[in-house]
Amino acid sequence: MSTPVAEPLERLQCQWCQSLNPKSALACRSCGAPLDVRNLVSESGWREAPRIRDMTEIHFSNSTCQVEGEIVPVAEINLSPGDAIFFEHHVMLWKDETVPLTLMALSGGFKRAFAGMPFLISVATGPGRIAFSRDATGELVVLPLHPGMEVDVREHAFLLSSHQIQYSFVRIEGLANILFGGQGMYMDRFVTAGSPGLLVLHGYGNVFERVLKPGESIMLEPGAFLYKDSSVTMDVEFQKLGAGFFGGTTMSLARMTGPGRVGIQSMYVHHKTE
Amino acid sequence: MFCAKCGSKLGADARFCGACGAMVAAYAPAPAVAQPVAAPPAAPYHAVRCSWCGSPLDPTATSCPGCGGNVSEMAVSTRSGWLQLPGRKDMAKLQFGQSTCQIEGLYVPVADMKLAPGDSVYFAHHVLLWKDPDIAITAMSLKGAWKRVFAGMPLIMTQAAGPGRIAFSRDAPGELIAVPIHPGQSVDVREHLFLTATGNVVYDWFQTGIWFSTKNGDETETHYPVGAFMDRFSGTQQPGLLLLHAAGNVFVRTLGPGETMLVKPTALIFKDPTVQMHLHFERPQTGFVAWGSWGNRYLWLRVVGPGRVAVQSSFEHLHGEASYMQGHSYATEMRW
Repeated sequence: MSTPVAEPLERLQCQWCQSLNPKSALACRSCGAPLDVRNLVSESGWREAPRIRDMTEIHFSNSTCQVEGEIVPVAEINLSPGDAIFFEHHVMLWKDETVPLTLMALSGGFKRAFAGMPFLISVATGPGRIAFSRDATGELVVLPLHPGMEVDVREHAFLLSSHQIQYSFVRIEGLANILFGGQGMYMDRFVTAGSPGLLVLHGYGNVFERVLKPGESIMLEPGAFLYKDSSVTMDVEFQKLGAGFFGGTTMSLARMTGPGRVGIQSMYVHHKTE
Repeated sequence: MFCAKCGSKLGADARFCGACGAMVAAYAPAPAVAQPVAAPPAAPYHAVRCSWCGSPLDPTATSCPGCGGNVSEMAVSTRSGWLQLPGRKDMAKLQFGQSTCQIEGLYVPVADMKLAPGDSVYFAHHVLLWKDPDIAITAMSLKGAWKRVFAGMPLIMTQAAGPGRIAFSRDAPGELIAVPIHPGQSVDVREHLFLTATGNVVYDWFQTGIWFSTKNGDETETHYPVGAFMDRFSGTQQPGLLLLHAAGNVFVRTLGPGETMLVKPTALIFKDPTVQMHLHFERPQTGFVAWGSWGNRYLWLRVVGPGRVAVQSSFEHLHGEASYMQGHSYATEMRW
């Protein structure tokens, strides 16, 4: 009815995920970031993840994801036929009875245990609704993955991912004892091949992101690490503190070196020192 | 029209923001009952001071340079006289010495510091969130530090010196409170609330002397409702900055000499050293033996002026309920 020819000239680019949106949109179609609120970047260069407004709807493939609540947000998915999402079973909040659940076939997945349970990735297939949330105050971080992107995520921090994304995990040997009590640390790796997909993470507290230039590095509390591009390297460095009568405590920091994005959470996961 | 707090778009006649619940400025209860909060007549450039921290405010500033509070929310006090910590815009910036601190995030705020050469901060090592690779961290020697344990860990104060950037946060949701420490001033802070302080603030601690002991069978246990120790931070010649992390909302009031108030012991955040404290119990005047159990008493901390007292609205519960009280530090009692 109107003139679709003129529209592409007046598109708004989302500052968080770079997707293009119609000029009238208040929130980004692909990641939910408000389009009428300016970017919050600290002087030190960390960009705060967009505060997704209550009830914002995000589109992926033919399905939608509505973000509900602000303190412990819920991601409610309306799957259309043929679409599927995968997730860890402990983040499920509710689902329609008719939505079928299956397990993703993973090689080596059973070697990886989570709190005594075998590590499983579940798959929900449309049509129908299913909702997810996590166990603490925090923010949902929506990372639309464009073809060719490779993102590594702290284990158990991903809430859900659409089926276009390929899932695998990598073990980081150097981080044993620091992060997960001697069991080593796994990171989930998400890779997009042909078509774009949706990846939703949950960060504890507030989430910040920065882009490291090639060779640039930053030192992180290991518990603050949330995600990174796979091009960013992660090395652990130790510093001994208080040699004298304290007996000494070793502080460990993760050195992240660019190029690529690094995401952190402000409510770090606390790791007991030995 | 846009919300002044979160930036969301508002309807033309909105009274409250649909996204964050903030009251639209035009409808806000005129906070400026324009009590010119101690405006010194001799300071024409700083007509107004921050109601929370007393820092002079630039007439054009939207947030206080000393504590980051919103100027539009200054001097909001309850009818009973508690002054509320002014709200803070995300990314508010404070200044100390030649250095700055930006406070980022609203659930679990991050204190992101840019330290100038010669400026330094100290902190308990577990609150470090990230740092520039070239900023050095060293341990600080503290007399008697081994006596204290921070949540099961040995207390190790570490310090970082400028130039460079370093950021801190805690592992729980809450509010970040900036307490500028003026020369000669001291504040006493309940333990575990400390986040970081500038190098020119002197750190010390003392025993609170506030305790009670309970007996359960053959087991006797001593409880410290405001902690066995309190941290004391004192200013030197230059003004310093102290950052605390508290839960819930934060309120402060100034007690006159001899003025008293009963507060929940675990709600106390900080007090001036001139404020004295002791326990106070209340219980009904019935003969039931069960009322001897302290868990059935109303246990208060009485703070006695002169000086400031700050409390938080969310607090931990005391342990040892349903045990019989055996002894306690100086306390008053009231039966009704």
